[in-house]
Amino acid sequence: MSANLQSHTVDSHTDVKIKKTNALTRWTKSLVNSKTGTVGFIIVLFVCLVAAFANHLAPHDPAAINPAKMLKPPSWLEGGEKEYFLGTDNLGRDILSRIIYGSRVSLLVGISSVILAGIIGIVVGLSSGYYGGWLDTILMRIVDSFLSIPNILFALVFLTVFGPSVPTLIVVLGVTNWVAYARIVRGETLSIKEREFVRAAKSLGVRNVTIISRHVLPNVISSFIVISTLSVATTIILEASLSFLGLGVQPPTVSWGGILSDGRDYLATSWWLATFPGVAITVTVLGIIFLGDWLRDVLDPRSQGRS
Amino acid sequence: MAVLNVEDLHTYFKTEHGIVPSVNGVSFEVKEGETLAIVGESGSGKSVTSLSIMGLIDAPGKVEKGSILFEGSDLTKIGKKEYRKLRGNEIAMIFQEPLTSLNPLFTIGNQLSESIKLHQKVDKKTARVKSVEMLRHVGIPRAEKVFNSYPHTLSGGMRQRVMIAMALSCNPKLLIADEPTTALDVTIQAQILELMKKLAKEHSTAILLITHDLGVVAEMADKVVVMYAGQVVEYTDVYTLFSNPKHPYTKGLLNSTPKFHEIEEELESIKGTVPTPTNMPKGCKFNPRCPFAMDVCTMNEPALNETSYDHKVRCWLYEEKEAVI
Amino acid sequence: MIKFLFKRILEFIPVLIIISFIVFSLVFVAGNPVALMLPEDASQEDIERLTVALGLDQPFIVQYGKYMLGLIQGDFGRSFRYNTDALPLVLERLPATLELAAASMVIAIIIAIPLGVWSATRKNTSMDLLATGGAVIGKAMPNFWLGIMLILLFSVTLGWFPVSGRGTMAHLVLPAITLGTGIAAEMTRLIRSSMVEILSQDYVRTAKSKGLRDFFVVYKHAFRNSLIPVVTITALQTSTLVGGALITETVFSWPGLGQLLIQAVNTRDMAIVQASVFIIAILVILMNLLADIIYRILDPRIKYS
Repeated sequence: MSANLQSHTVDSHTDVKIKKTNALTRWTKSLVNSKTGTVGFIIVLFVCLVAAFANHLAPHDPAAINPAKMLKPPSWLEGGEKEYFLGTDNLGRDILSRIIYGSRVSLLVGISSVILAGIIGIVVGLSSGYYGGWLDTILMRIVDSFLSIPNILFALVFLTVFGPSVPTLIVVLGVTNWVAYARIVRGETLSIKEREFVRAAKSLGVRNVTIISRHVLPNVISSFIVISTLSVATTIILEASLSFLGLGVQPPTVSWGGILSDGRDYLATSWWLATFPGVAITVTVLGIIFLGDWLRDVLDPRSQGRS
Repeated sequence: MAVLNVEDLHTYFKTEHGIVPSVNGVSFEVKEGETLAIVGESGSGKSVTSLSIMGLIDAPGKVEKGSILFEGSDLTKIGKKEYRKLRGNEIAMIFQEPLTSLNPLFTIGNQLSESIKLHQKVDKKTARVKSVEMLRHVGIPRAEKVFNSYPHTLSGGMRQRVMIAMALSCNPKLLIADEPTTALDVTIQAQILELMKKLAKEHSTAILLITHDLGVVAEMADKVVVMYAGQVVEYTDVYTLFSNPKHPYTKGLLNSTPKFHEIEEELESIKGTVPTPTNMPKGCKFNPRCPFAMDVCTMNEPALNETSYDHKVRCWLYEEKEAVI
Repeated sequence: MIKFLFKRILEFIPVLIIISFIVFSLVFVAGNPVALMLPEDASQEDIERLTVALGLDQPFIVQYGKYMLGLIQGDFGRSFRYNTDALPLVLERLPATLELAAASMVIAIIIAIPLGVWSATRKNTSMDLLATGGAVIGKAMPNFWLGIMLILLFSVTLGWFPVSGRGTMAHLVLPAITLGTGIAAEMTRLIRSSMVEILSQDYVRTAKSKGLRDFFVVYKHAFRNSLIPVVTITALQTSTLVGGALITETVFSWPGLGQLLIQAVNTRDMAIVQASVFIIAILVILMNLLADIIYRILDPRIKYS
């Protein structure tokens, strides 16, 4: 069998068949082979587990104020206390516990807003590409308009109007991010629309909705997964930025951007306040980027074989 | 005297699947003013041979063994700087794809005068005059205008003429032409070959011609090297090759070419494909496709032997009896 | 060329109309700002009188029409906080933001071009891994955090640069590095992948076969070709650059548009918010146009159509 496989590697058709039958094995193998992919996968899995079991993992109540333990340095430094591994903030709250709880908001906002953006983007992109005409013209002008306003600026205006809260944040980040999906989905739709099988289906009188869901959607799904993954990374940064500016997640909900914002005022004396939440954001985003790059290599046949 | 003498050249590529010996012990020589053709299917190692001579094999490839004597000096031993002085000056090269071999962002003149300025150490003005002269020389009409044009405005044939002008601009002793006409229309092919022949004769330039087309070989070559799977399988002069081919592979190639065949007879194609480097057969590398394969062919590899004067063949059919044991 | 420019500028009009509509709708939904403008002890009558005086009791479409009419005449409304026209306030802050953006761009280019080209020509070596790894980390760091860390190290601990403000070159260094790092990271990745592809092109082999020095092969023949996709994608990221500038300005108290905007957002000074969004959008559009022009200069194959 293995000899047979090897002799056929040049033949792309056979290759595709083999790939499909052993999809799971192939994915696992490819993940193990890609060092950065493995690192990314482990980081993302770790952050997800931390978020899910935050209440079991956190050594302290993230909101518990303790005036006796204000601004304690990390446990391994002079003056640090054993039970506060990453030190405490200006209100005596445990930084490690706050970072552990902060992962929840980051993931919640990051993932839900990307799903929302994906839904808007797919609907707009599909309609625009499939129906074309004036609808396409108008929708694409709207896309251009959104591209001309920095995401963070749009989010700022939106949050000023509707007031900052987690649900608003999810909506606003969803509404600012849909443009990328709309463009890709539209492009794919346009090219698939011209393919033989779609024309054949159309000429047989198959309903538009059926054509879209049967033929177009499955073809855009891999680009969709890749952009979504990388988009979660940028959204987590955007959420942190907004929370840092005081317009994102509001206390008492803990967020990484929020902890950082608190820590900024104590930079001269207590560097750990602002440092560790940033490390958490960077590592998480790094993991997601690695995972996304690996997914792109696996899902996009055009990038295969390149490194 | 030989301009180029390639001796036992080995060029290997290191890949994930192990070491691939693209060129595996190739020897031949090209004399002044002579045209030597290397014939073979794609994957036979003929292009890698030419790039090895140019010193353009990049990692993960490497010239592992053998020597390349150019006018007496071994190119595998000279430094980068000396190599650069030869390249485009003493040894020039024309590539297969005229459409992609010119940089789309610079004018023809810019790219042509570039090597003239570099190797002949002349100023911009002189280089320009020489370039335009070269363009006229290769039969380009309105040379002044073409000098200022970008490559995308020219046809494939015109671009190949520009490539020839570029290659010959410094009067090289050796011109390497890798499938120079493959990408062109048939009528243009003949013109380009004629042009190369004429210019080579004028300056007594030696040509190393890489091709898979026996028609081109008949038209251009004095000597022929037939390559298969990284090795030379037959090496002789062009007349002997066409009148008395010995290696079954050469015979197969000739049989599959319409020009050299009686009309009544049917064309035959060689069965199978060139083996991939990771999947080399044991013994003679041609044995799975050879109609005359014997037991010995699947076990031991034949050597390249001179079977008659100036005619070398790598085949058990022509081995001396004692060598078989 | 002029025809092409004209056509592109005409295309801006619908985009600007859509932006004005989005922004105006958001502000309309935000509700009556009059209460914020008057002293806290103002009576209900006062509020109503001012509402009528400002035309804020009229239907959406009438108010939007008036707003558009104002925009055409360059009237972006009045800031109630500063009690002057919003546009001059915004334009006054613009040079500081542009200075920061330009400096960051220069830093990004100085880092990204050699690093990207260098790692592409040494593909898959440990040095390449180091460069690409650095680029990914640069991309993963939120720039406000990088800014704070730079302040911590270079201002608080070492005392080399001022913590905040604008004026001397020393003031510019940290904000420009903060904003420039993210751009440099993205640009390095782009240049590397573009160069890797270009270096395998036939014309690069031709250039080598002429005996040109590696430097000329890489920087004359390969680099210019690789710039074409880089310019396009970098231009598309202008809005990210401006967005980053807004946050960086807040971190370093850089007196630019971002700082004005964040203040305006906090005080709900909507005229300034609207004017800033508009000016930033125009800036982004102009940058994209500039990239389009550079793209056409770089690539002779493109016709102005």
